[in-house]
Amino acid sequence: MIGENKIVIAAAGSGKTTYLVEEAVKIKGERVLITTYTESNEAEIRQKFFELVGHVPANVVIMTWFSFLITHGVKPFQGSLFEFPVSGMVLVSAQSGLKFKTRQGQPVFWAENEIDKHYFDPVRRVYSDKLPKLAIRCNEKSGGAVMDRISRIFPHVLVDEVQDLAGYDLDILAALARSSVRLLMVGDPRQVTYLTHHERRYQKYADGGIVDFLRNELPKKVPVDIDETTLNRSHRNSAVICTVSSRLFPILPASQACDCVRCRTGSAAWNGAFILRTADYAHYLATVRPMQLRDKITSLGVDQRWPAMNFGESKGRGFDHVVILPTEPMRLWLSDHATNLKPQSRAKFYVALTRGRHSVAIAMDWGTSPLPTGFSLYERAS
Amino acid sequence: MKIEKVKITNFKCYEGTFTLALNDGLNVIVGANESGKTTILEAIHLALTGLLHGRPLKNDLTSYLFNLVAQNKYVQSLGTASPLPPPAITIELFFSGSSNELAELEGDGNSERAKRSGVVYKIEFDEENYKGPYEELVKAGELTSIPVEYYTTTMRSFARKGVTARNIPIKSALIDSSSTRLQNGSDVYVSRIIRDVLEEKERASISQAHRKLKEAFVANPNLKLINERITQAAKISQKAVSISVDLSSQTAWESSLMTYIDLIPFQYIGKGEQCVIKTKLALSAKKNAEATAVLLEEPENHLSHTRLNELIADLTEKHGQKQIIISTHSSFVANKLGLDHLIVLRSGEVARISELEASDFFKKLAGYDTLRLALAAKAILVEGDSDELVVQRAYMDANGGRLPIQDGIDVISVGTAFLRFLELADALKIPVAVVTDNDGDTTVVEKKYAAFKDSSTVRICFDPVVDTGTLMIKDKPYNYNTLEPKLLKANDRATLNAILGTSATTDDELRIHMRANKTESALAIFNSKTAVTYPDYIQKAIAP
Repeated sequence: MIGENKIVIAAAGSGKTTYLVEEAVKIKGERVLITTYTESNEAEIRQKFFELVGHVPANVVIMTWFSFLITHGVKPFQGSLFEFPVSGMVLVSAQSGLKFKTRQGQPVFWAENEIDKHYFDPVRRVYSDKLPKLAIRCNEKSGGAVMDRISRIFPHVLVDEVQDLAGYDLDILAALARSSVRLLMVGDPRQVTYLTHHERRYQKYADGGIVDFLRNELPKKVPVDIDETTLNRSHRNSAVICTVSSRLFPILPASQACDCVRCRTGSAAWNGAFILRTADYAHYLATVRPMQLRDKITSLGVDQRWPAMNFGESKGRGFDHVVILPTEPMRLWLSDHATNLKPQSRAKFYVALTRGRHSVAIAMDWGTSPLPTGFSLYERAS
Repeated sequence: MKIEKVKITNFKCYEGTFTLALNDGLNVIVGANESGKTTILEAIHLALTGLLHGRPLKNDLTSYLFNLVAQNKYVQSLGTASPLPPPAITIELFFSGSSNELAELEGDGNSERAKRSGVVYKIEFDEENYKGPYEELVKAGELTSIPVEYYTTTMRSFARKGVTARNIPIKSALIDSSSTRLQNGSDVYVSRIIRDVLEEKERASISQAHRKLKEAFVANPNLKLINERITQAAKISQKAVSISVDLSSQTAWESSLMTYIDLIPFQYIGKGEQCVIKTKLALSAKKNAEATAVLLEEPENHLSHTRLNELIADLTEKHGQKQIIISTHSSFVANKLGLDHLIVLRSGEVARISELEASDFFKKLAGYDTLRLALAAKAILVEGDSDELVVQRAYMDANGGRLPIQDGIDVISVGTAFLRFLELADALKIPVAVVTDNDGDTTVVEKKYAAFKDSSTVRICFDPVVDTGTLMIKDKPYNYNTLEPKLLKANDRATLNAILGTSATTDDELRIHMRANKTESALAIFNSKTAVTYPDYIQKAIAP
């Protein structure tokens, strides 16, 4: 029997985590797994349970995607592939399992049948990029025992930030979708800011293609309900910010600002989307007190006297006002939306734009051409 | 949820791996002293709780837990070119049942690499932390026992995940009535059993009440006054000295509450009553998500015949869905609980009466003789009472007057059921001699016992010579190949006349007398002051 499968496409600030936790709380008596890619988001989910109901219910297990894969994907049925104990996981940022480099500097990697070298570092920690693949192999070798076991332990699997999953992760999602598990996924395809997979597998779905993956790669008999409306309203961003940020993803439905009384009362004196001259930067920081958002810690232009945060780091957070230090491609895109903006940059820009509740400013000297739609030039009050 | 199988490696008397399959309901383990009955119960309890003798084993590791043979092999290998790795104790429990609670414990992290649900308890060398010190120790060459100070205990599911007793849906209630270990304070077992009977909510409310009680005590104004006085009196330091109750322990109520039976503290009531109450408590636990395995050690100790009868009635009628594992050397207990549940244990060999071909026979047989055979060090199987008496006397004559049973040799008369008993003896590798008549045709006897011709444990003894004669008893030819005529052949008429107090004038007359008075004749030989000469096949049976 195939369990119910659903993916909810969420806009930034639409309350993904709250929605997921509320869904989990509704389930009584049956075990629920909530999993997400990052540790910070795992902590946020836990925190949300305490905010909403005061405790994590006994039937709910929260774990990161990686610990889920190690605990339930690899260890239970590793016996058909290898004997030794797995001592943990090691995060890698490039393709793992390097055997040697040729004289021309070409890397040569260990083949898959060299299990201890292909999947593991010398102290038997599994490489983060190979972990989902190893889980898939354990499942294949054990005749599906891995997925069978998971579906009996957790009748409900809830995945937060599902857009972060890629490569063999998607195979795991597909296997869960085919199983008796009720699979509920929540994510925002616009916010793929973690480039964690270097596998070529499912490369075409890597950048926010999760919905296409579910549509194209699952058999017809495995239906997935795609819900683009439940979470399409932002409780964080103002209408202007919704409009300007949605332009980054014209093919997706534009997000709407909510009209909750609670979210929209006491609106700030300062709001809107602005282009900020570099000459006015210090003054703006002192009067508006925005959070500075930068690409990386080495980005130029940050005023060290005020708080600052990287784009990736700011994901999931909200601030009354933000000021963005754009990268060159972001600047180019602002002046002409037809210019090529790499998926990763596009996602980061989207994240940055959607952090602000009331105002977002972009620090750059614009020139003479017309301002991008929705933006106005910040003028110092004289 | 049941324990389907136990595998024990290197633990106490079990050298190598010992495997025992268990029934879903009752399991009665019988065996002589030192046969490892208690070790099985201890091992199961240890793997489910991490406790041995009521205490966490990880704090009490000693080399005596290890099988002596394994330890010796290891120690002796150290000086050689191929030293063995430090031995490990492994206890594996395989669970059966389809409940979802078991799915979490499922995996192939077991010795069979099978997709099963279960737990593994290990006492093993802590390689991660003590690799260096161990190398030094081995180099120094002074290891004479297993270096348990470098050992650690782990409790894992077959999914290779660390577990605690809390995560295992099968709870263990070990009822050890022979124990005198727990005389002080509240009995750990009984509070454990009570705790396991309670639902989570009830536990929380007791713990809450206990906490309030402690807080009320601390808040009492009298205590405050006393503490002020102590602080003034005890000028130990500048800091305040005060007395209070221990608020630190998380599960304090279990250890500080006392169980009363009719207002008498639990440990002051009789041992027998304690055993009955613990058993009843354990049997009464009713929880959906959990199962209880009741481990009962030698319930016959401390119990009167009537109390034992009551306990057995409880065990057979009220166990419901619970799995019960009982160790006993009482044939009464074994018999009452039913032979089909019987697991006979003997130096690492296991036989189940229900699996023997002769199981129907043994079920009908009151069971007493079955147990005699199972518990004997050696046995001589004979056909009837007269053979039994003569064989016993022959043994005494050859061994300075000691009865065979004094040397652990049980002489059992089995009628015509030789093969059925041999099946059990063979399964348990019990050294057995069979004393049988050749009944006039040795090829028939040889054929009957052909399976045991080359057995190292079974010795078939019969007279290879077929005697014949002309004597007729009521139109039927007299059987010259039974014990009595063979005795006459080995001695002479005069000797037997003297012993039997007869005055037969012909051999045939004596044959007819002995045939009609088999038991009396045998008894006369058994009690005789002078010894007779025994036929060769009897001598062969009693030979060491």
